[in-house]
Amino acid sequence: MRRVRRLALQYGLVVLAALLLNFVLPRLAAGDPIDYLMPPESSPLVTPEQREAILASYDLDGSNTEQFVTYIKNLTSGDLGVSIRTGQPVRDVVVGRLGWSVLLVGVAVAASTVVGVLLGFAAGWRRGTKRDIVLLSGVLAVDALPAFFVGLMLLLTFSVKLDWFPVYGAVAAADISGWARVTDVARRLVLPASTLVLAGAGSIFVASRSALVSELGEDYVFMARAKGLNDRAVRRHAQRNALLPVSTAVLLGFSTLVGAATVVETVFSYPGLGSLAFDSVLARDYPVLQGVFLLLALIAIGANFLNDLLYPRLDPRVKDIG
Amino acid sequence: MARSTKVVASIGGVFIALVLLAAVFAPMLAEHPPTETTGLPFEEPSANHPLGTDDLGRDLWSQLLFGARVSLSVGLIAAVIATALGTGVALVAGYRGGTIDAVLMRIVDLVLSMPFLVLVLVLVTYFGRGLSVTIALIAGVLWARPARLLRGQVLKVKEFEHVVAAEAMGASLWRILGRHVLPRLTPLLSSQFVRAAAVAVIVQSGIAFLGLGDPGSVSWGATLFFANNSSVILTDAWKWWILPPGFALTILIVGFAFVGYAAEEWADPRLTGYGYRRGMRRTLPPHPAAPAGEGESLVVRDLSVHYETEPPVLAVTSVHLRTRKSRILGIVGESGSGKSTMAMAVAGLLGPPGRIVEGEVVLGDTDLRRLGRVGLTKLRGRRFAVVPQAAMSLLDPIVTIRRQVAESALMTHADGKKRASELLSRVGIPVDRHDAYPHELSGGMRQRVVIAMAIANQPELLIADEPTTGLDVVTQRELLDLLDRLRTELDMDILIISHDLRMVGGIADDLAIMYAGRIVEMGDAAEILRSPGHPYTELLLNAFPPVLGPRRPPVPIPGDPPDLSQVESGCRFAPRCPKMVDVCEETVPEQFPVACHLVVT
Ligand code: SF4
Repeated sequence: MRRVRRLALQYGLVVLAALLLNFVLPRLAAGDPIDYLMPPESSPLVTPEQREAILASYDLDGSNTEQFVTYIKNLTSGDLGVSIRTGQPVRDVVVGRLGWSVLLVGVAVAASTVVGVLLGFAAGWRRGTKRDIVLLSGVLAVDALPAFFVGLMLLLTFSVKLDWFPVYGAVAAADISGWARVTDVARRLVLPASTLVLAGAGSIFVASRSALVSELGEDYVFMARAKGLNDRAVRRHAQRNALLPVSTAVLLGFSTLVGAATVVETVFSYPGLGSLAFDSVLARDYPVLQGVFLLLALIAIGANFLNDLLYPRLDPRVKDIG
Repeated sequence: MARSTKVVASIGGVFIALVLLAAVFAPMLAEHPPTETTGLPFEEPSANHPLGTDDLGRDLWSQLLFGARVSLSVGLIAAVIATALGTGVALVAGYRGGTIDAVLMRIVDLVLSMPFLVLVLVLVTYFGRGLSVTIALIAGVLWARPARLLRGQVLKVKEFEHVVAAEAMGASLWRILGRHVLPRLTPLLSSQFVRAAAVAVIVQSGIAFLGLGDPGSVSWGATLFFANNSSVILTDAWKWWILPPGFALTILIVGFAFVGYAAEEWADPRLTGYGYRRGMRRTLPPHPAAPAGEGESLVVRDLSVHYETEPPVLAVTSVHLRTRKSRILGIVGESGSGKSTMAMAVAGLLGPPGRIVEGEVVLGDTDLRRLGRVGLTKLRGRRFAVVPQAAMSLLDPIVTIRRQVAESALMTHADGKKRASELLSRVGIPVDRHDAYPHELSGGMRQRVVIAMAIANQPELLIADEPTTGLDVVTQRELLDLLDRLRTELDMDILIISHDLRMVGGIADDLAIMYAGRIVEMGDAAEILRSPGHPYTELLLNAFPPVLGPRRPPVPIPGDPPDLSQVESGCRFAPRCPKMVDVCEETVPEQFPVACHLVVT
């Protein structure tokens, strides 16, 4: 329990740091807050009344400390400001996109973990054989393909040439429902998710393979053979131990995938957080950008926290140290 | 480094070199400047424009070549900055430790778990799109991973003897870090450098592909951005507009990834080593082995084992031995004498590059060598059992000891858990510790658990390879007594291997003395201890004076064991033997009963 409390404290500080960063970064870069809220390109579109409203909602006339206090206050009440591009509350915009991102990245993380771990363990168990070399160099090569290039190629092959999958979007129309909606969503998920799997499985493959290979050199594996266990049982011992470092790799891979999703969502016009970030970058919609950044930071921190919390369940040795 | 890794590394090197060539010779190979309109928009490939032109009539071939410059320099510069930054943080965190370390590592964790691309994307918006800004931002995100890994290495290196010694002698911090710590980090550093380069290239091309790259420079990502913007995949132009820069990026990143993987193996020697093999080539004697004789259980005839390295090592040569029913046979020799290799070969646990080149191994009437790998696995733990060296980590760290013992017991008992508890109690583990994890037990206790697993299925024979090494003297004694007691209770015979002649002599009925891969003397234990026949045994006895009786200082044996990669031409002991005569260097003495020319039967 003490361990959990200490972790919570540490992560509390990290969250605070992320909030601070999110507050400071745009101010550092933009100089005058007016410029930051009203980029020259969009200024003509904004009426003086809107300008006043936005300034007031942010209390931008106060000192930096006052602004920070207001910023935190607004955050705690769930107020992330208003999108410059659409005028909608940032919270609604971000939450509306979150679902699609969770679906896309979630499916991709799950699939790339399964694929990466299975192939990685298969290669690691037969380390040094032809099968291993082919798998290793193949996966490294596929992993090296830039996600947007893979996305373009898949789009070209399966949507344009073969016409198996729709080209754009996450769902055909908002009004379809029931089973039709499910299959439509699934069909449109295939290509972007596959792109992400191709981009993300590689690092998990390498991590699983390396972890298994180094576990296989451990004394307890020799002992498992010495006590007369067959290959399957020996492999089970090594794999269970190898999963510990792999869980960390999955976590790191998760953040890579969220990043890659930005590009992939753009290629497939998928309405997730990534393409929202991208659109906001183009429109210099800072409030939305800040919202996306904050959300992603919180998700990443949450994933880390979860990993730290659950790791002792996997590895009995950690309990005592923590 | 494994051969397969070398292949991977050289392919990677060639790929990087290709991109480097394109970058260097771009002005010579391209006729047109990459950023100026030199043709009509959307031209198809022609002699003038080998890859056609883009939507603004710019030469795509030229963009391909000049793009190499951007990608390569982004990759390398960002990697240099990121690894330098990471190393600095790692040195400070790892060397200083304490609060600084804790704070730095939390920051590292945060940066690590942030999605790279999004982070850089947001930062680019805030700080501008120039190439140098992009590079700085990429490096500002990429340093965390090297920092984390290098810190772990620093923590290890810090404890190395010469580092501690340098510290004690008052060397300055910079000197210690520069002279002693940094060189040890080189392998890991280089693998992290290459990795960072690959990620930097990916991130930069991603940003450029989104149209957020430096507007003034040509890059592969930017070319693809324009292609995507012009919906090129709906036309035929993708062949010359998308494929070339896409593959160019791939080649460079694959190059970094391959070289990086090889560097990773270099950094972590555990990843190298001998690969999986179903077992080495077997050369079996032409006829099935004769069963063991009356009163014998394990019989080894003319066994030779080589390590097929370059040059091959003749680890075990023409060994004959046998254990007697319900007796203890002790095999004694210095480290490197081949005693463990011999035992592991007998148990079928010899991994590559070790290989049995000759000989027979018989247990009762079973010819073990003819069983093959799978057949032998089925006997191991049942008819014979193995207790390996008392290493710290013989037990699976994440499984309770009871479940591990149950795993053995289940081979012949339906209720594995119950049987496991009986066994654990029998070897002296208190009941309240049965569900403990290995790290919660002392070294002696853990070795008891290993013994419990070994006797789980009442084997006829127990092979114990230095079962007490590394434990304190009292614990050693207790474990040997336990083995002796179990031998009587379970009516099994024990083959025990040790470097300590007196210790094993205390419980063994028979002794075999091994030197340089050969058994030089074998016989009744008490007899050998009283009047050793072989000059080596005699010296060995002096090296381990009796525990009881008049105190004598131990006399170490002068000289070193011979180089076993050389084929023997006489007695292997001759260079160290005080009684050596001429014939010793010319003829190899036969094993029985004492392998010495001076002992005539
Ligand atoms: S054979 Fe010769 S060299 Fe070898 S042990 Fe006997 S006396 Fe010494």
